[in-house]
Amino acid sequence: MLRYLRVPRRIALCLFVALAASAAAAARAYSSSDNDWKPVDPAQLSMKTPLVERDADAEAIFWEVRADDGDEEDFVLTNYIRIKIFTDRGRESQSKVEIPFLNGVKIKDVAARTIKPDGTIVELKKEDVFEKTVVKAGGLKLRAKSFALQGVEPGAIIEYRWREVYSNASADYTRLEFQREIPVESITYHIKPSKIIVGARAMRFQTFHMDAPRFEKEKDGFFVTTVENVPAFREEPRMPPEDQVRRWILLYYSADEKPQPAEFWKRVGRNLAENTKDRIKANDDVKKAAAEIVGGAQTPEQKLERLYDYCRLKIKNLSSDAAGLTSDEREKLKSTGKPADTLKRGQGTAGDVGELFAALANGAGFDARVAVMADRSRIFFDPKFADSYFIRLVCVAVKVGDDWRFYDPSETYLPAGMLPWQEEMEDALVADAKEPFFVKTPLSPPDRSVERRTARLRLLEDGTLEGDVKIEYTGHLGNDKKNYNDDDSPQQREDTLKSAVKSRLSTAELSDIKIENVTDPVKPFTYSFKVRVPGYAQRTGKRLFVQPAFFEHGVAPLFATSDRQNMIYFNYPWSEEDDVEIALPEGFALDNADAPTPFQAQDVSKYDVKIGVTGDGRKLSYHRTFFFGGGAGLLFPAQSYPQIKAVFDELNKRDNHTITLKQAAAATASNPN
Amino acid sequence: MLQRSFARRARQTLLFCALASATLCVCARTRAAFAGDDLPAWLAQAAAQVPPAYDKDVPAVVLYDERQVTVAPDGKTVSTEMYAVRVLRREGRAFAVAREGYAPSVGKVREMRAWLIRPGGQVKKYGKDETADVAASPEDVYDESRAKVIVGSDDADEGCVFGYQVTSEEQELFPDATWEFQEPVRSGAVHAALPALVSRYTLTLPQGWTAKGVTFNHAAVEPTVAGTTYTWELKSLPPVDPEPASPEVTSLAPRLAVTYAPAQGATTAGATRVFKDWTDVSRWYTNLADAQAAPDAAITAKVKELTADSKTELEKIRAVGRYVQGIQYISVQIGVGRFRPHSAAEVFAKNYGDCKDKANLMRAMLKVLGIDSYPVLIYSGDPTYVRAEWASPGQFNHCIVAVKVGDETKAPTVVESPSLGRVLIFDATDDATPVGDLPDHEQNSFALVAAGDHGALLRMPSTPPEANRLEREAEVTLAADGSITATLRERSQGQAAVWERRAFRGLSRADYAGVIEHWITRGATGARVSKVEPSDDREAGRFALDVDFAAANYGQLMQGRLLVFKPAVVSRREFLELARAERKHPVVLESQAFTESVNVRLPAGFDVDELPDPVKLEAPFGNYTATYEVKDGQLRFTRSLTQRAATIPPEQYAQVRGFFERIRAAEQAPVVLAKK
Repeated sequence: MLRYLRVPRRIALCLFVALAASAAAAARAYSSSDNDWKPVDPAQLSMKTPLVERDADAEAIFWEVRADDGDEEDFVLTNYIRIKIFTDRGRESQSKVEIPFLNGVKIKDVAARTIKPDGTIVELKKEDVFEKTVVKAGGLKLRAKSFALQGVEPGAIIEYRWREVYSNASADYTRLEFQREIPVESITYHIKPSKIIVGARAMRFQTFHMDAPRFEKEKDGFFVTTVENVPAFREEPRMPPEDQVRRWILLYYSADEKPQPAEFWKRVGRNLAENTKDRIKANDDVKKAAAEIVGGAQTPEQKLERLYDYCRLKIKNLSSDAAGLTSDEREKLKSTGKPADTLKRGQGTAGDVGELFAALANGAGFDARVAVMADRSRIFFDPKFADSYFIRLVCVAVKVGDDWRFYDPSETYLPAGMLPWQEEMEDALVADAKEPFFVKTPLSPPDRSVERRTARLRLLEDGTLEGDVKIEYTGHLGNDKKNYNDDDSPQQREDTLKSAVKSRLSTAELSDIKIENVTDPVKPFTYSFKVRVPGYAQRTGKRLFVQPAFFEHGVAPLFATSDRQNMIYFNYPWSEEDDVEIALPEGFALDNADAPTPFQAQDVSKYDVKIGVTGDGRKLSYHRTFFFGGGAGLLFPAQSYPQIKAVFDELNKRDNHTITLKQAAAATASNPN
Repeated sequence: MLQRSFARRARQTLLFCALASATLCVCARTRAAFAGDDLPAWLAQAAAQVPPAYDKDVPAVVLYDERQVTVAPDGKTVSTEMYAVRVLRREGRAFAVAREGYAPSVGKVREMRAWLIRPGGQVKKYGKDETADVAASPEDVYDESRAKVIVGSDDADEGCVFGYQVTSEEQELFPDATWEFQEPVRSGAVHAALPALVSRYTLTLPQGWTAKGVTFNHAAVEPTVAGTTYTWELKSLPPVDPEPASPEVTSLAPRLAVTYAPAQGATTAGATRVFKDWTDVSRWYTNLADAQAAPDAAITAKVKELTADSKTELEKIRAVGRYVQGIQYISVQIGVGRFRPHSAAEVFAKNYGDCKDKANLMRAMLKVLGIDSYPVLIYSGDPTYVRAEWASPGQFNHCIVAVKVGDETKAPTVVESPSLGRVLIFDATDDATPVGDLPDHEQNSFALVAAGDHGALLRMPSTPPEANRLEREAEVTLAADGSITATLRERSQGQAAVWERRAFRGLSRADYAGVIEHWITRGATGARVSKVEPSDDREAGRFALDVDFAAANYGQLMQGRLLVFKPAVVSRREFLELARAERKHPVVLESQAFTESVNVRLPAGFDVDELPDPVKLEAPFGNYTATYEVKDGQLRFTRSLTQRAATIPPEQYAQVRGFFERIRAAEQAPVVLAKK
């Protein structure tokens, strides 16, 4: 992926806050002069079951943060959390607290106590707060204050508080978490914006996956908001990125009193054009090279494909794992800064490669621009949010006719017409000196990312299956495979393959393994090997039962649980094509070879299978096709879970379809479809 | 956890490397020092060696590994470690790491330097700027142990040699040491040991002192002695590969234990106590721990409350044991807390502690009841780690308790101590294993009962398969279309129940239900689970699980006339896979038993056409049966496995493999019904 243009932002503070929040995250308006704990309601102490989630092991009664950005120098977060413990598991998870902090941050006024079910209070002594240096290296010092609350047992309440002082920092781009790993009855944020900044820029906030809370003005320049009954955040398989489903707020400062997205993005796009114009300009050398590269190509698409392949194949991408550079060598990498230099050297950073492509395209007479976008693996970007916080990725937009085509030649393993999946189906801001604009990048359809599997196998009388296997991966599947394997040794690649096969066929023995095109930018990633699987088919007295879907044997259903909280999400569409032939053992004939029925889920998914047998009845052939993600169907609401689960359950059932072979004398061979 | 010595040599784990390389990226940018001029001679010599050809899955080879230890009369040691590793394949980069542990209260690392020699001879040097100082156990709340680290993994590649030299000092508590000729390394859950060309331990003692070594997992290694310098050395050690169900690598790779002592009758300053036998070790720990086990008024009151309804000795021990196991485990490894338990009163008040704290609190509580008990030092994680021939506290990493019991107290974990009589062994830390049971990784191991003059090394109890039984009953109704409705009842006890209990207690209720659903749907695709009802009786050592579910098309209807299904509807959740045809190490089997009875109500209109053949397997280490019976429209399928704790030599591997392979095949066997 191109990463040569970086939108400046102050993310360090966000990291600190997230880090500290991970320790326990807390908070309630607790002023530094207030040394008293809030009174404990007897009802809280006698509470036997959680209020927000029935089976919770622990529940935060309140969680309060006072974010004070009013100081000229420092940004101060004061935290106060009170947690009710319901089970031993809750005690285990909540009674150890660690507050990590980096250079420039001070942790002050740590206090904690346990209120036992009988009302007895056990205060944490100051000497029981342990400060340790987690890592000290090269000027970096990560420290942590840690403590264990005492006397904790189910039924108890624990509470603790501390202040984080960030020197010479502000609240700009601070994340306010509204959802934690335990349910919370009440979350309150008190926020005081900076007086210094406020003259030119005002504090803004953007909510994610929650209703916009109402901030009320309170004394001393603070604003307060409270959200109640927030369930715990839980990860689920195949869910959207965490930032896309979790409840949170981003605090930031903006010069616009009422930010207008259209105007904001125009400014960003114009700046982008201004900052990149020299970096994608074609000088004479570049123009000459472009003419040579596209020479003979007839259509604009062909020309661009040649330029794209030239940059991918002829220019060494030093940022890629496939370049085989050590960290020392990578450290020394510097952008050439000029496309002509990249061209001359025949190598460059990922950014250089992208810029060269844009310059070559411009040199060949195209209108090529830089385009920026968010990362779909982190969040689904909405341009209505007028801030560059999420803009992280860069590619090249080229005008062809009335359309814009997108290219990222720094992604070595993807062919022309495909972007890394994180950049597909994203709103890309195309740079322009006057009128920048958003264009939705295309999504590669299922047939661009194919897992193509063939097997020529022989079934033995005892149920052993053996033969030759070949598997090819293209598109995003191939890209994933290559990126996963390209930094591994040949032996590790074999081990990875063996583990994958043995995870579903525990008795499988693999030999003559060939793993090809691992770092080849054009050819599909390919496995080929001989396999022997004792006990593949089940033998009874007079029959053999064999699953012809060799490549799906032992694969578990994609979704197991019946409940779902989050949306269901797939990164990209894909398809599968299986071609299996199984020579049958002597003395056995097909008793049945009926095929599972095909199914289709609108244009999102389709499964089809054909089972046949050769004229002499000695060989079974099995052809299976499946795709998912057609019609850009990648994201589904949680309410659709039963339907999505049903698709994959049905697929699994059909893949487990069994064929019966009977000893020849007793067989009543039927004619399969 | 018990900790005694911090100045250990590098322990390169992939996990650690991942952490360290992430934290050290800052260092990597600070300096790019290329200099080969001061490459130490030992490293240049080591790098010049040509190792033999190993299997292609060996990631790296240790070219040279030497620790030189000089002991001062006051017991302080100064150690220099020299280590060189050649990366053979890319994954071997993870071993290009230097690490030296220390505890600030008793030691420090004086200097650490490292070098990377590329195949072309270019040398990269690492020094102070590239050295990180890290918390050794960052996940522990109260732990002072630290390590100095240099990570060369990101710079290394195939063919590179990474070497380091580190000098550290430590005030030793005991005049003994261990040396692993091949240090265990870890990649995920897999333990192994790299091949080593030269591995050497050199000990230089004050005048008049002597040393004695014991070799484990290898023929005795005799030292070469020059004055008061002793050197033990092994060469050309092959790799120790991990295999399923093999002994721990700590029981496979050669290691050395050394005890040194001043001349008899000489007086020395500092802590140089020499343990002449296990009773001596017992005296030492008894002195250290006994005073901490005094009950105070609060403890006394609590014990009375806990045992108010207890009538027998065993009931009282159970009541106390349940309470102590219930307090939170938090390791405290600061200063003397590394060795000596905190006072029972303090642990009781804080309601947390580590293994030695818990054992100590339990002793204090039993004292209130007039029941004698003793701390037991044990090694957790490898039942064959502790060897009788070397009397040293350095062999232990965990503390449990031995309770003196009368004849009326019966339990599988009661053993006869020659000097103490009947004692009940109990792990007060493992809250999944109640009184009367013992974690499987501690069973049958040697442990030291610290009972002053009466203390001794004692073989821990081993529970029989019947005590670790899982029983499953399933009632299944099969419809003509292949769908099923099923009810499962599982009842487990002993270590089988511990396994279930840990899964249940380690997860939220929702996550636990999810795990059960995964298990069910693995056998019956698309199953809808309508009931997951676990029931944990920890005190009795039992766990129950009831599950109801239904699955469409469980059986496959073929051409409308045959209905094929597997009566083993759900798999066992743990199964030994012995896929490799060859075996280097013994197979270690744990004591367990499993029985299953499945009753399948067959659909009307179908006859049984084929049943799998019954299976009966008998072997010295266990037996297995599977039977099928059709009666009154119902199929009754039973299977039963009894597996005895055993360590089977590699020569008998084919027998073990065949045994489990036949079980696997039997559990896949289908039943064929045909339409009437």
